[in-house]
Amino acid sequence: MIVTTQKPLDEVLGFIAPYTSVLIAGCDGCTQPPRGLREAKTLSQLLELAGRIQKKSFNFKVTTVAKQCDNYLAASILKPQMEGVSAVLSLACGIGVQTLAEVFPELPIFPAQNTHFMGAEEREAGILEERCAGCGDCLLAVTGGICPVARCSKGLLSGACGGSKEGKCELSPDRDCAWCLIYEQLKKQNKLHLLKESRPPRDYQLSGWRVTT
Amino acid sequence: MSEDKTQQAVAVKQNIDYCSSCAVCSTLCPYEALKKDAETGKITLDVTKCQVCGLCYANCPARVIDTLYYDLDSLLNYLEQAKKEYASDTLTIMCRGSAPDIDGVSKLFGTPKFIPLLVPCVGRIPDEVYLKALLMGINKINVLACDVDYCRFERGSAVTGRKIIALNLLLDQLGYRRDTITLKRNSLKVKVDANLCIACGNCVFFCPYNAAELKSPGGITFDLDACRGCGLCVAMCPATALELENWEQERISQLISRFSSEMKSPKILTFRCQWASFPPLNGEPAPNIRFIDLPCASRVDRFHILEAFQKGVDGVMVAACSEDDCKQERASGKAQHSVATLSDRLEQIGFKERLHFCSVSPRYPEELDRELEQFSQKIKGLGKGG
Repeated sequence: MIVTTQKPLDEVLGFIAPYTSVLIAGCDGCTQPPRGLREAKTLSQLLELAGRIQKKSFNFKVTTVAKQCDNYLAASILKPQMEGVSAVLSLACGIGVQTLAEVFPELPIFPAQNTHFMGAEEREAGILEERCAGCGDCLLAVTGGICPVARCSKGLLSGACGGSKEGKCELSPDRDCAWCLIYEQLKKQNKLHLLKESRPPRDYQLSGWRVTT
Repeated sequence: MSEDKTQQAVAVKQNIDYCSSCAVCSTLCPYEALKKDAETGKITLDVTKCQVCGLCYANCPARVIDTLYYDLDSLLNYLEQAKKEYASDTLTIMCRGSAPDIDGVSKLFGTPKFIPLLVPCVGRIPDEVYLKALLMGINKINVLACDVDYCRFERGSAVTGRKIIALNLLLDQLGYRRDTITLKRNSLKVKVDANLCIACGNCVFFCPYNAAELKSPGGITFDLDACRGCGLCVAMCPATALELENWEQERISQLISRFSSEMKSPKILTFRCQWASFPPLNGEPAPNIRFIDLPCASRVDRFHILEAFQKGVDGVMVAACSEDDCKQERASGKAQHSVATLSDRLEQIGFKERLHFCSVSPRYPEELDRELEQFSQKIKGLGKGG
């Protein structure tokens, strides 16, 4: 899932201040925490209250799109709702915001979120962590299902650095050393021999910027 | 805190002098608050464990137990007044946990007009209330209890079932109809709007009872036998696809509109877990205070808190049970978390101080009043909201 956090309400209010009729578009896709209809409605309520203090009144329309990053879906769902709308506040990740900007080039599209990374949530703790860096050359088959590109602070491909201490990364005592995790995992699977295989340096071109379907 | 509480008024008392140690109360008490002391044979009451279900009060043969809520006098007073007000000879005694709105209850029993008596658990109604109601000219008594397995007080519904069988047998001998008292059971459950569901699975994570299941393909289904109607999933659903029977979004919104227009300033709206504090049978709350009772504080919805502010309410309070007292599976902790999350966002627009979460218990009846008093004072100091 794409991990986003809410922008400060002041900042969002600043974006929409010059406009009156604002569409707030949620996204039911992969944003986590969820930014669907409930979040869109909550944001409209918060902004209305904040606007009142600044003597500014908005006319909010609230909607949601199954996947804002799908230009076909975004167009078919949002176009019929655009009459009279002077700006759009998107609750999607940066990809959704850009898709809307392409679909509605004449309208200002503002992000209500900051987009962080592709990650997963430890649900009990409510913590979201990066899991995939989109490198274009998936190594998970040989690293026990733990990605060193995304989860090692240094993105090392051939084992822990000297900064690994008691299973934690030298950059932050909260952060697990990815290579320690990989070692423990491979040990459980009796596959420690995989660590002895040397690996060529990463080909950064594989990450790419475009693929075709 | 605990020293504090020993000085407080408590809702249940035991007049030990009259106690014959028959142990009816300790057998019935679902919480081991009443216990027979192994050495002395005396019954002891540990108020800190009491959840104020009233089973002991209703069933003690010697009237040893006193309760501040819905005692015999206040129940009979209420009946006398309500009989005039509602002009009906049918009494319907309803548990808060299972009663839908008045129309729903009418349909369940097929009685368009009735005298409503809404209590937390029908198990707390003493036999005398049934008999005196008949003496007052009431001809028919309907009782709506929760399904036995969903009784928030564990034994209240089952005990009432047995009580009603016994009372009907007695009434039959006295020449009354054998079905003078009718018992129905009901439970309020979650409903899914498949058109709105986005199959995100949030409800699967939040449901404390594993009632929600998400299949791919297949979408969301709820096992209604497992659902206990806390409403946590409803408040957490990102797609607003879920509703809880009797506590629909729209119904709560209408209450907010009505209350905010009739309240005096500073307007304090309290979302109250219906097990955390019991309203009196008679009397209105203070003119600046209104309550919306919820099946559990975890049903409290961000929408409704914000909507209250939008509609001119000056302060919103959420009164929950403590986690230890929660009649659901620690759902009050989830409620606290969700209020705290909203509070962080309210801080950004200067409304944080206007939202207050507290946990209270009916065993200390002054607790909620004190919270309300302090919060009202604070809101008065802040002046008008939005």
